[in-house]
Amino acid sequence: MFNWFKARNTGAETNQRDQMSLIDLHELCKKSGDFVSFQPINSEICVSYYNTLVNKKVINKDILAYLDLHKGLTLEQLIEKIPIERPVLTEDVQSMKEKLLIGYVMIFYPEQPSKAILLPASEKKQRQISFPEAEYTVVGPKEGFVESIETNINLIRKRLPIPELIIEETTAGTFTKTKIAVVYIDGVANEENVNTVTQRIKGISYDQIIDISYIAQMIEDNNNSVFPQMIDTERPDRVAAILSEGKIAILCDGSPYALTGPTTLIEFFASFEDYFLSWHIASVFRLIRLFAVTFSVFSTPLYVAVLTFHYEMIPENLLYTLISSRSGIPFPPIMEAIILELTIELLREAGSRLPSKVGQTIGIVGGIVIGTAAVDAGLTSNVLLIIVALAALSSFTTPVYKMSNTIRLLRFPFLLMAQLLGMLGIAVCFCFILIHLLKLTSLGRPYIGPIYPLRVRDLKDALFRLPFDTQNLRPFEVRSPHPSRPPIKKEKDIDE
Amino acid sequence: MNLLTQPDESKQVSPFFVAYIVHSMQIGIGILGFERYIAKDAGYDAWIGIILSGFTIHILIWMVYKILGNGQNDIVGVHSSLFGKWIGGLFSICFIVYFCLFSITIVRSYTEVIQVWMFPGLNTWYLSFILLLLVYFAVTGGFRVIVGLCFLGIVYTIPLLLLKWFPLKEADFTNLLPIMNHRLMDLFKSSKIMTLNYLGFEVLLFCYPFIKRGKSSQKWAHAGLILSILVYLFTAVVSFAYFTQRHLNHIIWPTLSLWQTVDLPFIQRFEYVGITLWLFQILPNICMFVWAGSRGLKRLFGGKQKHMLMFILLLIFLASIRMTNRGEIDFFTTIVGRVGFYTLYFYIPCLFAAQIVMKRVRKKA
Repeated sequence: MFNWFKARNTGAETNQRDQMSLIDLHELCKKSGDFVSFQPINSEICVSYYNTLVNKKVINKDILAYLDLHKGLTLEQLIEKIPIERPVLTEDVQSMKEKLLIGYVMIFYPEQPSKAILLPASEKKQRQISFPEAEYTVVGPKEGFVESIETNINLIRKRLPIPELIIEETTAGTFTKTKIAVVYIDGVANEENVNTVTQRIKGISYDQIIDISYIAQMIEDNNNSVFPQMIDTERPDRVAAILSEGKIAILCDGSPYALTGPTTLIEFFASFEDYFLSWHIASVFRLIRLFAVTFSVFSTPLYVAVLTFHYEMIPENLLYTLISSRSGIPFPPIMEAIILELTIELLREAGSRLPSKVGQTIGIVGGIVIGTAAVDAGLTSNVLLIIVALAALSSFTTPVYKMSNTIRLLRFPFLLMAQLLGMLGIAVCFCFILIHLLKLTSLGRPYIGPIYPLRVRDLKDALFRLPFDTQNLRPFEVRSPHPSRPPIKKEKDIDE
Repeated sequence: MNLLTQPDESKQVSPFFVAYIVHSMQIGIGILGFERYIAKDAGYDAWIGIILSGFTIHILIWMVYKILGNGQNDIVGVHSSLFGKWIGGLFSICFIVYFCLFSITIVRSYTEVIQVWMFPGLNTWYLSFILLLLVYFAVTGGFRVIVGLCFLGIVYTIPLLLLKWFPLKEADFTNLLPIMNHRLMDLFKSSKIMTLNYLGFEVLLFCYPFIKRGKSSQKWAHAGLILSILVYLFTAVVSFAYFTQRHLNHIIWPTLSLWQTVDLPFIQRFEYVGITLWLFQILPNICMFVWAGSRGLKRLFGGKQKHMLMFILLLIFLASIRMTNRGEIDFFTTIVGRVGFYTLYFYIPCLFAAQIVMKRVRKKA
């Protein structure tokens, strides 16, 4: 009678989770079809778990077998008999609930429902470590992160076997209870940066954290900016390199990416492959990438500006080519440019939504068929077609996917301003973006360093990638407590 | 008035950025067309005037640093400690008005250049509005952002000097000969006109507290000035060598005309690019003046700098659409130039002397 009253009272009205008893928890869990609860034969003990979360082999061999051996013991005695790492005996219902939900097995006596033993028997399904898809490099390591945070941390630790590598774990998301790890090297990373990151992660209040990009958007310095302020990478080798520069990485369970910061704009155009190639080649490639970005942003707006307002700027010979390609086209340059730009964006979007094999076909159909047809039909000039296609191609050279999206988006305001004020409009728009970049920070550090504030010594790894023996100082921006790295070689005189 | 309002360290800039501030403030819209004015009196000996007036500016910078170093504050603080709240405040307001006038000339001159060279039919208010919108966006970023603009402005526009190679191919340096064939008086007149181009470094009076280890930044201020002198000298000599003196008298913007000689296979009428890039040079100038003005107002009257900023921008906007033709702009520029000249050569030495006298008096008392 008393029990009945109590059960009804808690079940229906006071739905306060803090005051839940073990029995209530048991009842709540039983509503779910995959929750198993039974009493082994000839035993008063009750064993319960979510059968979708546990490894059945562990239950049968390591738990049930021992329960059968040691009957009639109290929970305190029993806990010493079961050979499983870190068993927990607790009276805290809240922690029982949490543990059950991550694959623990709960053992208790229904007669004394105040405490229970919790034994880890979880089994996680995860993808095998595979190639990094978005940051593939021809040379260098070929392993990429997976969705399990333990595996990812294992991959990082393997590359940095030092006790100074610190991993601070927290959880976020009221529903998802996502595990988040802040990784840094103690004594190399600036404490202020670490505090900034941990504070901001603590400040997250949202019900679901599905991926690291959720965290990125929530902890960024300015979330109204189109520029990503932290680099996400799927390469453990890159994370290890970034950590030893004194930066900080954030990992989150369920995401095959690590978020790293503080970062600068230039870093988004540095592929990790730059460090695997000889420095001359790497520097040239990096310059090509920077040129590609400039081209990608400015080429179409310049076309519109020049052909709308300043055709006197074009030399005679070139003007002839341009006019002959534009003769008979019914649209003004801006319309022509917007139509083509949108077509390219459509192709890209369609290509990325379709399975990869179909996607390729779309690329060919779009690129060749639509392109030539548009020119033949006299809708666009073939000069612009070349420019737009090259601009699109250039935007894909950016190694960080999020940044290449930004680059592609940037050219639309430029196009509009070019139509309004010609070259001056482009300059005005560029000024706006420049000021925005000057204002922007990444974890409180200036975003367009080392250019402003000018740090000459950090230019060694900005526009160029100079050889490793010049890279003996960590980036100034990171403000590492130990800025110097071991020098690789000493200067030698002749015949020494 | 609080005498020591040291801004937060994260808002300050390193001393060597003073070089960029000074240089960027001195090179503005003036450099596009200063040759004609300085050659009016001293002819092609005017380049001596550039050096002479540059030298006097060195002395003024030294004075400015003495004033600021002794006062350990910006000009508003120095004024109030020297002359008291009311008279000192009045002087500070004069400075702020002067900065506003200066910004108006820059905005209006640049819009004029655009109207003459690129878009003849463009409305003044349209372009001024866009420019001031940019200024608002930048100034709300604070001092560091403006200094960043100064720095990047120099980075983007210094390469334009390389284009002087094209006129130099056809230059005739005998134009400059004979040297020193003008009277000393004419040289002084020319250097007096030249000083107007060096105006702008006075913002140091306002941004001094925002510079880390302020006193040590003096050498950088001088370095920035030397760079400005060299740029002006180079520009003037190239123009003198390219144009004959009679020709130069008819050219309002020799630099722009020189850009027309640029001959590249993929581009003609290079002055379009040049004028466009010049936005990066004048934008930090306007921003810095407006920032100094709005900060001064905030220091005087309290309140939010954002509101002061809006007020000043509105003022500039109204004034710049008020001027409609070349004559008015020229008249206004001359007036502002004269005000600037007296501020520099009369007011700053006076302030310097007043400060020394006050110090002595207070020590005795």
